[in-house]
Amino acid sequence: MKIAINVLQALILIMGAPLVRGIIGRLKAWIQRRQGASIWRPYADLAKLLRKEDLVPPSASWVFRCAPIVLLGATIAVAAFVPVVQSSALLASRGDFFLLVYLLALGRFFLSLGAFDGGSAFGGMGASREALVSTLAEAPFLLGLVAVAILAAHADIAGMVTWTLQQNFFNISAVHILAFTSLAMVVLAETGRMPVDNPTTHLELTMIHEGMALEYSGPSLALIEWASAVKLHAMLALLIALFGPWGMASSVSVGAIGVALLLYCAKVALLMVLLAVIESGMAKLRMYLVPDFLGVASAVSALAVIFTMLVKR
Amino acid sequence: MGLVEIATGKVLSSFSVFLFLTILLMVVARRISTSVLLFSVQSAIIAAEVFATGFRERLAEAYVVGALVLVIKVVFIPRAFFRLVDRLKTPRDVKASTTPTQSVFIAAALIYLSYAAVHSYGQSVHVPEDALAASVALILTGAFLMVSRNKALMQMLGLLVLENGIFLAALTTTFGMPLVIEIGVFFDVLMGLLLMGIFTFRIRDTFDHLDVSKLRRLRG
Repeated sequence: MKIAINVLQALILIMGAPLVRGIIGRLKAWIQRRQGASIWRPYADLAKLLRKEDLVPPSASWVFRCAPIVLLGATIAVAAFVPVVQSSALLASRGDFFLLVYLLALGRFFLSLGAFDGGSAFGGMGASREALVSTLAEAPFLLGLVAVAILAAHADIAGMVTWTLQQNFFNISAVHILAFTSLAMVVLAETGRMPVDNPTTHLELTMIHEGMALEYSGPSLALIEWASAVKLHAMLALLIALFGPWGMASSVSVGAIGVALLLYCAKVALLMVLLAVIESGMAKLRMYLVPDFLGVASAVSALAVIFTMLVKR
Repeated sequence: MGLVEIATGKVLSSFSVFLFLTILLMVVARRISTSVLLFSVQSAIIAAEVFATGFRERLAEAYVVGALVLVIKVVFIPRAFFRLVDRLKTPRDVKASTTPTQSVFIAAALIYLSYAAVHSYGQSVHVPEDALAASVALILTGAFLMVSRNKALMQMLGLLVLENGIFLAALTTTFGMPLVIEIGVFFDVLMGLLLMGIFTFRIRDTFDHLDVSKLRRLRG
């Protein structure tokens, strides 16, 4: 039964991801007083792309073809590590948060390789920028997770969530606020959202993620789009699991799971509104300012780790 | 009534964390207006702390002081700053001489330093260590802002942050100073602001800019 729920929550993360994207797009349209597309459009896009022909540049090798598959595989594996409705996950094991960070890095590495292999100038530019951003985002990502792990005295995400569930919501500690701040900044950078990368553009010379996906078409593009949607959803779910898991089902019953699911939807909705507001209200940072943005995240996360020693709970 | 007590306890136990956050954000802020808004938020947190202390120690005077903080530091001083920025017609960046990354690491180091500094003191006297560390961190950051920002306006703001720190230190160690002293301090701050405002106008009129790093020569 427990395993069935674990499979269910991985499926929620994977299948619900395009919906999250659609809703964010709709919210942004609403804030900008546009009509906006239907929230189901990402599914239609995926279905359309999957039916189309896959065009490969004549100079590309097998790396170009296998990159989207590795990316989606790694991202789905990440989704299996994140608790959604109960404080356990399909692949939960000790030290799994390290694996989570580097699975994301693996997917990104292959996408960058694919972009270089495609041979277009934009692909190479996007890939080298992505390499810079991910190098800088890795330290705050890991340090933020480590700070929470030290505080919870658990080395796995499920353990951290279980520990947080036992705490009082109002008893927030400095570590939590600092770690949340840095991880939220990292999520923005990792998923290519607004202050770091503009997810809606194909026109600017500043694109990062879109630049890498530029040479892909048909089913390969569908896999990349889907993977980035799953990544966004999994990262939001990770933030919720680490910093606001209250309401997760503690017993295996239909009622408890239902309540947990509803609460999860509400929390994701809140984060989506926040994302839409940030994306509509902020301008994209110049590329040279991105290291500063992530440097701030690094300092905050380093401070979070230091605070684990100062805060006595 | 129970709710108010819980809220008071929470304000007293976790407000210092938010003060640290405002410190970190303030040293990375690139625009004067952002810094001023953050100063306003910071003062609001301190006002909440004053009210909470007043409620717990049953001091009627503390409410007056809290209201004064609210009126002067949260509303009046930021508004005066915005008017000043408007009237001076100066570019809105703070002209930092350290990059945001350097600044935030320095601020983090200052916060750690302040914890280390108050550690032994906080154990001998029974005062909340977090709050005392926050006040020392505010004093240090205020000084850091003053030396690392080249805009004359930011040096005023640094001084105000420093003053916030001193105010908080007084509050946490004495649980509320006599009202007369507090009013005197506020009067001082307002007078200082007035004088510094006039000086920035004079600097602008004489040198056509507000960059203090270029104030090397005397001009008649």
